[in-house]
Amino acid sequence: MAGNFTRGIILEQRKEPALRRKLRTFLNSNYAGMLFESDLPYDGAALSGEQIIEIARLARIVDERDGLFLHEKLTKAHQMKVKVAVGDAIDDEPYVSSQLNPLLFLEKEAGEGLRLAAKAVGNPKIYFAIYKNLSDVDLKIKIPKNIDGVEIRRIHGRYPAEFRTMDDFDSDGPAVLIGICSLIHLYRAVYEHRIQSTCFVTVAGTCVANPTNLEVSIGMTPTQLFERCGLAEEPGYVVIGGSMTGEVCEDPDSYPIGTMSRAVLALRDEEKKRRYQCIGCGRCAEVCPENLTPFYINRYIELGKYEALAFYDIHRCIGCGTCSYICPSKIDIAENIKLAKMEIKRRRHVKEDD
Amino acid sequence: MTVLQYKPIAPYVRNRDTAFAVMMDVVIALLPLYFMAFYFFGLRALLLGLASTAAAVVSDFVCILLEGKRPYLRDISSVVTGMILPLLMSAATPYYVVVSASVFAIVFVKHVFGGVGQSAFNPAAAGFAFAAACWPTQVFSYPVPFAELEPFGSVSATLSNGPAWNLFQGGVPTNDIWDLLLGRFLGPMGLTNILVLAACLFYLLFRGAISWQAPAAFFGIMVLSMLLFPRIPESGPMSLVYEATTGMWVFGGIFMLNEPGTLPKRSSSRLAYGALAAVFTILFQQFGRVEQTFAFALLLTNVFSFTLDRYSERLLRRLRRVYLATRTKLSEKKTAQRA
Repeated sequence: MAGNFTRGIILEQRKEPALRRKLRTFLNSNYAGMLFESDLPYDGAALSGEQIIEIARLARIVDERDGLFLHEKLTKAHQMKVKVAVGDAIDDEPYVSSQLNPLLFLEKEAGEGLRLAAKAVGNPKIYFAIYKNLSDVDLKIKIPKNIDGVEIRRIHGRYPAEFRTMDDFDSDGPAVLIGICSLIHLYRAVYEHRIQSTCFVTVAGTCVANPTNLEVSIGMTPTQLFERCGLAEEPGYVVIGGSMTGEVCEDPDSYPIGTMSRAVLALRDEEKKRRYQCIGCGRCAEVCPENLTPFYINRYIELGKYEALAFYDIHRCIGCGTCSYICPSKIDIAENIKLAKMEIKRRRHVKEDD
Repeated sequence: MTVLQYKPIAPYVRNRDTAFAVMMDVVIALLPLYFMAFYFFGLRALLLGLASTAAAVVSDFVCILLEGKRPYLRDISSVVTGMILPLLMSAATPYYVVVSASVFAIVFVKHVFGGVGQSAFNPAAAGFAFAAACWPTQVFSYPVPFAELEPFGSVSATLSNGPAWNLFQGGVPTNDIWDLLLGRFLGPMGLTNILVLAACLFYLLFRGAISWQAPAAFFGIMVLSMLLFPRIPESGPMSLVYEATTGMWVFGGIFMLNEPGTLPKRSSSRLAYGALAAVFTILFQQFGRVEQTFAFALLLTNVFSFTLDRYSERLLRRLRRVYLATRTKLSEKKTAQRA
């Protein structure tokens, strides 16, 4: 139950109806030929750990959590002698369910994929991790206790939960977190010798008519996905990634969807940009999960005193965006901190060059 | 795709609370106090409030224009300051006292330090201190409740000192205890209704307009000191009733101590800040020269706001480093044991 007293924010999850709808595929014509050639058998039980890593390398699987190649990650985990392997389906941001939905609808592939990955890193304990606070009023789907024989652990606590996941599994020894989507791709690589050419994304948002989780070919554009799911109205702007940390997509007609995209959101431009001055209420300091004081950090950034920021431990900011979320004056604190961190890095490089 | 006027910035979902809503909560909490003042003292109470608020808003507007910024209608912090000020004073206070106090609060306390959220001192407390220092007789002499006060001009009703003066002199007030609890005694417009004030505190806490740390520390220490060390020859609980009903610290602990601009930002420093304000109030009561000491104590406490935050941050840095060091040490030990 660690994490019930964590700092952070309670978010309306807004995952429905995308979460309960069946995962659909939306592939282009290249999909059928995406196979690699290998002499290895099409059977997980007959493969050794090194062979599984070799297959992950041949299939060019990328972990959607951190963008690392799966074979590099597994090799490193094997060297570290991890005791726990966790299939990560946390999805703590609103609207996003592109890890949770495949886990629930492709149970067998995810479970077998996790067992294969565990075999590759030396047979540690295995778990799935799912966020606990999915308590939407309209959540129709029930999260089971275990999936395909693998125990599910719920990550408790308030919004930025993903960065705390390691702490929940640390008691058994060093742990490795692997994204669900890359596990599904590992299963397909082993049993079908298929190269990773697809990724899982949630298409949702206030302007989407039928929010759904899709398995799409890599390189499709947001416009194509909206045609597939239907738009209820003209979107104000399009976001790639989660609704807390994602980026605005300036050109939805040609932006390629990739492994790390996770979600494509079409949002209504409903919030007018209102100009408030900071009233100094200090709510940002109350919610910061890293226990920083965003109020003073933002104040010093506005004053241009970058040398004072080290005292407030700005490097420990994880960029979760809770401070911007809670701010009653609607100040973009998280964005300011992100830019200031880049500026500090740039200045340091300039100094080293001198 | 519609062309956007600005680029949206993450996070794209935001909390619905705005700065306007936070300050509107305080305004709503002040309204019942004005209603009670109207009930006791008639139209003059409301007109005093209106005059003070209008003066505050106008001087705020002028100051913003002089600074070369664009005035913003959704910023109602000056309304809050203007509404708080007359409640601290007698209902018979002349209009010029109230208006000059609120102009002083806005111009010389709020805008000299840079406007909303930047002022180093609480504007309402400074305005009251200014009025109390310049016109002590007008501010501290009160009309009897239900006396008919003329809405305009000077007041013909007889004015006298209230039970707060008795306490200040070291005597015991002669008022009935029910009169004290229901606010039917000589006192400032907004400070006498202790039950309404308690309701206001719960409303603000429930709405999240104020945080609990500073009032908890402040009221905890104040109540304890009243119970244990009464300054009048009375039992502890009786002393608490007298002090709480007649003093400014109950109102101030709710509306002035939690003014967001001057409150420290970290929760630990908020506790220390509330405690410090309580200690200063008690010391001022023991050795002060005015019957209502809270505003002066608060102004002194404001000075320590940034320092407390700085020390809290320093402590936190140290604890964080110790925690991280022990954690890495523990995990190293674990891996060593396994190997």
